[in-house]
Amino acid sequence: MKQTDEQTEDAFREQCRRQMDRPLSLRIKYGFNRVYKPVLDDAPWRSFESMTAYREWCEANLPEYLGYKRAHD
Amino acid sequence: MAFLDEKVDYLFIGKSGAILLGYPGTTQDVDVFPRRSPENGHRIVAALRKIGFEINSELEREIVAGKDFVQIKTGPFDVDLVFAPDGITSFVDAQARGLIEGIFRVANLRDIIASKRASGRQKDKIELPLLESFRVEFEKRSSHPLRSTAEIASKRRSKK
Repeated sequence: MKQTDEQTEDAFREQCRRQMDRPLSLRIKYGFNRVYKPVLDDAPWRSFESMTAYREWCEANLPEYLGYKRAHD
Repeated sequence: MAFLDEKVDYLFIGKSGAILLGYPGTTQDVDVFPRRSPENGHRIVAALRKIGFEINSELEREIVAGKDFVQIKTGPFDVDLVFAPDGITSFVDAQARGLIEGIFRVANLRDIIASKRASGRQKDKIELPLLESFRVEFEKRSSHPLRSTAEIASKRRSKK
């Protein structure tokens, strides 16, 4: 049976409460993982003079599916 | 622990900060909002080296200079040093209202959300409704309601 939006929201809120009840060590263990991201992970480090310059670099260089590009309404 | 040992002035922001507070999501990197000063920059370099990051002299210069955004992938995890996060007006204000979670200093959840909203990125837009729902649950457990630095600044302006 398909969940209503309200049921989905309630289930997510319950998930939030359960996660807050977990110790910090478990939040870290399950909250942080690493998967290779093309382009983004292909340099040991980068620095940008401004956040605007960083955003422009993301727009120009990163694959769309990574989600770093500006959202359009 | 290294940031604590080296007395780095910082706050976790972004999704990594929310996860430390109990947000049920995952992320691939750690977003740190440090105070911008050469002294703090040197402390950051020392702390990152202690954790195992390789920081060459060029990268060290960029960190100490406090470039707006420094992305580092030479250690045990990926870290973004965000000296000028979108949507957060000042480090001092954000720090004053920051939260302590274990040994970590984390930005106020409202600042985290304001910053995500201001960034305007696709991946943040998807995440925002979930972060807002988490905030509601988080604030039910907080002793006092949270306000973002932008909300406080707006209130100050309206009083003048």
